[in-house]
Amino acid sequence: MSSPALEIKDLHAGYGDAKILRGVTLSLPPRSLVALVGANGAGKTTLLRTISGLLKKSGGAIALGGETIDGLPPHRVVEAGFVQSPEGKQLFHGMSILENLMVGAHTERARARRKETLEEVFELFPILAERQHKPASALSGGQQQMVAVGRALMALPRVLALDEPSLGLAPIMVDRLFEAISKIRERDLAILVIEQNVFQVLEMADYGYVLENGKVSMQGSGQELLANDHLRETYLGL
Amino acid sequence: MDFFILSFAVTNGLLLGGIYGGVALGLSLIFGVLRVVNFAHGSFLMLSLYISFWLWSIFGLDPYLSALINIPAMFMLGFAVQALIISPLIKRESALVVEPLSALLLTAGIFLVLDNAALMAFGPDVRAVQTSYYMPSLMLGGIPVNSQRLIGAVAAVIVAAALSWWLRTSHLGRSIRATAQNRDAAAMSGINVPFVYAVTFGIGCGILGLFGALMSTFIPISPSIGLSFGIKSFIVVVLGGLGSIPGCIIGGIVIGVFEAVASQFVTATSAAIGSLALFVLILIFRPAGIMGRA
Repeated sequence: MSSPALEIKDLHAGYGDAKILRGVTLSLPPRSLVALVGANGAGKTTLLRTISGLLKKSGGAIALGGETIDGLPPHRVVEAGFVQSPEGKQLFHGMSILENLMVGAHTERARARRKETLEEVFELFPILAERQHKPASALSGGQQQMVAVGRALMALPRVLALDEPSLGLAPIMVDRLFEAISKIRERDLAILVIEQNVFQVLEMADYGYVLENGKVSMQGSGQELLANDHLRETYLGL
Repeated sequence: MDFFILSFAVTNGLLLGGIYGGVALGLSLIFGVLRVVNFAHGSFLMLSLYISFWLWSIFGLDPYLSALINIPAMFMLGFAVQALIISPLIKRESALVVEPLSALLLTAGIFLVLDNAALMAFGPDVRAVQTSYYMPSLMLGGIPVNSQRLIGAVAAVIVAAALSWWLRTSHLGRSIRATAQNRDAAAMSGINVPFVYAVTFGIGCGILGLFGALMSTFIPISPSIGLSFGIKSFIVVVLGGLGSIPGCIIGGIVIGVFEAVASQFVTATSAAIGSLALFVLILIFRPAGIMGRA
């Protein structure tokens, strides 16, 4: 039995007096794609920020491949193998696409392989290769999202988290992005996807969690969740 | 006003302005990356002037050679000040942007401590380095040029160019730029942000180490020398465009030339007031500074 790629147990965190996460427990098996859905303010982004070490937890445990990573500073979390493509893309706007991707390959492990990884990212998103010397700010929303995902891949994650990758994208770009995500699945990593696009992400996910008020309110395989009445009503409007 | 005196004043202003720009580089870099206005910038220059002075007066070390000790010493001091004093403040503000006021007050406190510690340790006397050799003025196109100031101004341009180039091409330089542009995204890419901050602060102070050594040859040194340079650096940085390295040199030259030329017509004090008026005037038309992007 290998340990889960990412395991979170009873995680509590928040900003000052505002408790956002109230005991989140979830687990990503190796090489799985797990979806995390929930309304705005449910705590999805806060969960990722806490795993990344940008926010201090107030209780619980986070383990990556069986090793505890809670309490580590953000750069050590990346070294351990958890990398996220953050909400709102958070690109380095004064830099070219190529430079944005290169910043992603910062850890020693990632730097050693950065040429190969760059090729792979360009293969995944050919448009980035074409426009690699353009400043990140000159790209469309969809292309910026590709840079954000590409930058996270450059760090050679063991667990890749994508925070709202389809937010604000045109439907055609959303489809392309999901295609790219299914290609990323072929790599040796586990993926955690936060999405508003509940239907599309649950269709492809191995497993899904629903976050409500800082707690997991429901979980199950993608198909199970899609068949659930409460979820259909709340998130799909069916 | 005859042409010779005017061109002499312009030349002098160019040199002095270049040096102002060089002194301001560290302030600009630190602000650009940490978003901290370092009120103690001038005090660090004062310390580095004293380092060169004491190395000369105790060990007889040539002020230019003292740069070899001054630069690493100031780098380490800057690194330590950031890592030990300013970093806890930034950490306390967690993921949010540093409150400019609290950082300003903290560095103002560092300024008070350093200036008064220097006053206590070295006394209020004005000191000067006397090199054993005489550096004659050069004649460039019929205009006498002070060689110590020429060295300072040339060094400023070289340091500015080297710094820009290093930030653009090196691995650490890219990490510094990434951190400046988006601290959280940099951290999530694996960059050790507190380390980058400390190195940046160290570089900012290390540059002062160089200029302390170069300026010790022609500046009277006293514990209160820092403040006027600190304020001038601030004006230069805002005028040139916050965080812009070429802007720093250009801003320095604008102020230097204006002061030198204006002081041919009015007293030096009035010229300094005039340079502040020029500062306000330029900012009305270019609020982000000469090289700044709004």
